[in-house]
Amino acid sequence: MSTSKDDPTAPAETETPVVDVRTLFEEQAIPYMDQLYAAGLRMTRNPADAADLVQETFVKAFAAFAQFQQGTNLKAWLYRILTNTFINNYRKKQRDPYQGTIDDLEDWQLGGAESVTQGRSARSAEAEAIDHLPDSAVKDALQAIPEDFRMAVYFADVEGFSYQEIADIMKTPVGTVMSRLHRGRRLLRDLLSEYALERGINTSGTRAQPATVGRPKK
Amino acid sequence: MTDCGCDKAKAELEEYLHNELAKADAADIAEHIANCDDCTGEAHVGIVLTQAVQRACKETAPEVLRDQVLLSLRALQANH
Repeated sequence: MSTSKDDPTAPAETETPVVDVRTLFEEQAIPYMDQLYAAGLRMTRNPADAADLVQETFVKAFAAFAQFQQGTNLKAWLYRILTNTFINNYRKKQRDPYQGTIDDLEDWQLGGAESVTQGRSARSAEAEAIDHLPDSAVKDALQAIPEDFRMAVYFADVEGFSYQEIADIMKTPVGTVMSRLHRGRRLLRDLLSEYALERGINTSGTRAQPATVGRPKK
Repeated sequence: MTDCGCDKAKAELEEYLHNELAKADAADIAEHIANCDDCTGEAHVGIVLTQAVQRACKETAPEVLRDQVLLSLRALQANH
């Protein structure tokens, strides 16, 4: 009985240092800031709104952190809060307002559903061209596709979330996630291939005639 | 032996690339792709597309934002 540890009445075990909640949150959640900001940029399409969205997301997440079950997927939890906050507070003030669900549209209504390239060499040229596109072209193409498709692509390809996790974040069935992801990637691929073609980016190392920049005729 | 699974591979390519297939199914698709130029090409385009999106979406949050968030957390905690 020399140390308090041997004393069964000592509350040594239950008294494990109460980890400061803020410290815990800062250690666990704050490292996702870059990623959440990147997602926010894709959602809001402008840096000021993206920053506000992320700020609000962290404030909400901190307030609800007690409900977060340690050991479960924190990143997915944060993304759920980000997505909810975006839908509730930002979507309505988008310059290009949400068109409602486009899940029911047929592929032909979306355009670009047909494979542009056929054959092996065309495909490898297509891959090569996409691989060499500047980031700005890829961002523009992402911004151009419908929001639900864009975010499904983002969650799957950038964040590596599973279909089930994306379904939870977007509050939609897994089948809808699959459809959004397929169609989003199809549209994206077509836009990027088109862009590459217009800019004459190809694999042969030569540049095709640039699309006419149109010197004003006089 | 030539058309032994192109339809299946093309239909499931996206799920294959996103690791959503059960092991046995994924193995079937991988085997088919290895033996089919056409599907190899499709798979390659799919992978390159994912990589292009990943590259384009890399962002760093502004320092100001980081500071603001940390400040709000401090303020929130002080109020509790």
